[in-house]
Amino acid sequence: MSGTGRIVIEGVGAVGGFGCGVSDLSRALNGSARSPGTFALSTGSGPIEFPAFRADVSRLEEFLPVRTLRRIDRFSRLALLGSHLALADAGLPDAERPRLGIIVASGYGATGITYAFLKSFITDGDICASPTYFANSVHNSAAAHISIQLGARGPNLTVSDFHLSVPSALATARIWLEEERVQRVLFGAVDELSELIGYIRYRTRGASPASPMTPLRTEMETSIPAEGAAFLLLARENASRGGYCTLETSVTGSLPFPGFPLPQPGLLVLGADGCRESGRRYAAEAQHARVACYTPLYGSMPAGPAFDVAAAALLLKGGTVFPSPGGSFLDFPATVPAGGDPIGTDRIACITLDADGAYGWTTLGKLPGTTGR
Amino acid sequence: MSVAPIAITGMGCICAAGGNQADSMNALLRGERRLGPPVRFASNHPIRYPVFEVADFEEPPDLLRTSAFALHAAREAVADTGLDRRTLGTLRVGVCVGTTVGTVMSEETFCRGYLAGDVPDMAPVRRILRSNPADVIAREFGLSGPRQTVVTACSSGTDALGIAGSWIRAGLYDAAIAGGADELGRITYIGFISLMITDDSSCKPFDRHRRGLNLGEGAAMLVLASEAVTRRTGMRARSFLLGYGSAGDAYHLTAPRPDGAGLRSAISEALATSGVSPASVAFVNAHGTGTPDNDRVESRVLRDMLPGIPFLSTKGYTGHTLGAAGAIEAVVTAACLEMGKIPANAGFETPDPEIANTPVREVTTVSGSVALSESLAFGGNNSVVVLGKA
Repeated sequence: MSGTGRIVIEGVGAVGGFGCGVSDLSRALNGSARSPGTFALSTGSGPIEFPAFRADVSRLEEFLPVRTLRRIDRFSRLALLGSHLALADAGLPDAERPRLGIIVASGYGATGITYAFLKSFITDGDICASPTYFANSVHNSAAAHISIQLGARGPNLTVSDFHLSVPSALATARIWLEEERVQRVLFGAVDELSELIGYIRYRTRGASPASPMTPLRTEMETSIPAEGAAFLLLARENASRGGYCTLETSVTGSLPFPGFPLPQPGLLVLGADGCRESGRRYAAEAQHARVACYTPLYGSMPAGPAFDVAAAALLLKGGTVFPSPGGSFLDFPATVPAGGDPIGTDRIACITLDADGAYGWTTLGKLPGTTGR
Repeated sequence: MSVAPIAITGMGCICAAGGNQADSMNALLRGERRLGPPVRFASNHPIRYPVFEVADFEEPPDLLRTSAFALHAAREAVADTGLDRRTLGTLRVGVCVGTTVGTVMSEETFCRGYLAGDVPDMAPVRRILRSNPADVIAREFGLSGPRQTVVTACSSGTDALGIAGSWIRAGLYDAAIAGGADELGRITYIGFISLMITDDSSCKPFDRHRRGLNLGEGAAMLVLASEAVTRRTGMRARSFLLGYGSAGDAYHLTAPRPDGAGLRSAISEALATSGVSPASVAFVNAHGTGTPDNDRVESRVLRDMLPGIPFLSTKGYTGHTLGAAGAIEAVVTAACLEMGKIPANAGFETPDPEIANTPVREVTTVSGSVALSESLAFGGNNSVVVLGKA
């Protein structure tokens, strides 16, 4: 392993409740956020409806024929759209695709098709179980579909560590590039808000409120369930043609851990997602830091930290802070810079904390030649 | 391109062949095949396909059976290193575990209740969320280092070993507990039957009359450490992880690429990173599921890339343990290098004209110091580790 080459984020592709693509994500980050849609469920206690960030995958037809998509479920469609958007954003030539490594992170996997598979034999008997549903329910199905559609024959990995999936998988992506196993890794995170996950969320946290998420208020449950995919095209700097920023580190572990709280890089992007207990955890670890939080734009989901990284990449490229949505920050013990303020740093760390005391952090750095100061 | 060897300082295993590594190896060398109809779950499918279930093992109610297997194997592996927990706690130890069901929200009782319009008990969901196998091992041993759960279907266990090795070389860990774990349940059982790749009798890897696989369950964990940490802590290397390679087929969700291009790339990378020439390979522990497609493609690749090298599948003794398979087979491979012999390829009787080479038919002495263990997976994943004798 050389260990000397930097890793560059060459392209970003994201689809979620905010819209589709870097331009929609930028618009949302700059203050033109969309309101969440709704999610309807039939439950044992009657039908319910609550706010949720749903993703529109119709733009996938710009990249793949409708016929190809017939047997591909929603989870993999989200991932395929995110991956194609990232490749298009980076302008990667088709000839480079066979050499790509692929890494997909997901908290819950293909839960929609998994539930459909269960329904197929619960309803009609074991002999009627659907082989197509079963094949698509396997956790690495999205990474497989990406590989097949792109003709990518490099190493292919799927990681599932619930809310720590993104920093965990990014750590391995970095290693692959440092080892020079591949010149580029198409990295992404995806989670779908299936009927099953929607119901589990409802049972766990109740119906989400109709008000916007306020993740930095430490005593309120304001999370809004979400789905989406955020992909990054990562490249060794010597193979890269420029991009957003560098990927410096990605680490996971358990608290307490030597070195935590983090060495302050100047700005922390917090993965606080509006869950009641979440705000307190972040408040404890990010005291007195300069922080930003963008989860109200894309909602609460295990893949969320990949959207944080995408937002941080746009920040570093643009050089000014996006406003943190979510209302009052008065009781949060950190500084939340206003939109338009200079970043004032060459490094941003994206922090994820889970309910069991595990953490993940991903540090991004300014790429020489970009406008960020 | 070759990389630093990683010491394997402890191994643990549980599968239908045995409740620990030594018992499992002895069963393999005695040729014992402990399969039968499933007893832990019911199915209304008219055919009762035989499986390799782990007998005499009860998981605690708050833990998935998968994670209980992982923990069982990890305890054996850590004990095998001779390290006490206090010393283990002074090291930066990561955990990397492969699985196919250890993180999946597919609990049948819960889904059945929801589908029926009931208000199902949330305990099964909480159990899944508390049972990420890498987290469970980290909690048990009080480890605060990185952890990762790899879900690349049937190559998960092999990939977990390769990734853990890379993380140690990169300096993220001093050591790692790495391997794979999977339980066998009704959902997996019915799923594989629906794909029509299960044999209704005992599996016959590489045999002319092979009709499919038998499912199994279990776990294997290996303690990996850099050579420097091995020396510093006084651990003994039982074997070495010399190299790792993986590549995608980019072909089909459940069928291997007919020309085996992905497997060829994975073998090439594994040999290159280990600095090992094909001629020095003592044997290959093949994936060898017993499905017509897998065995045809795999045997052709072995014929072309490792001609004349003895090979075998151990799935006739363990069943296909999916996410655990790569780890169980790595433990078997390392143990075979230690013992200087390999078991017979259970189930093989009749050569197949489509397969130019034949697996070993009896317990066979091997004299080399290097062996390969291969995994092929749904999604077109192909992964290979190269292990070396200590």
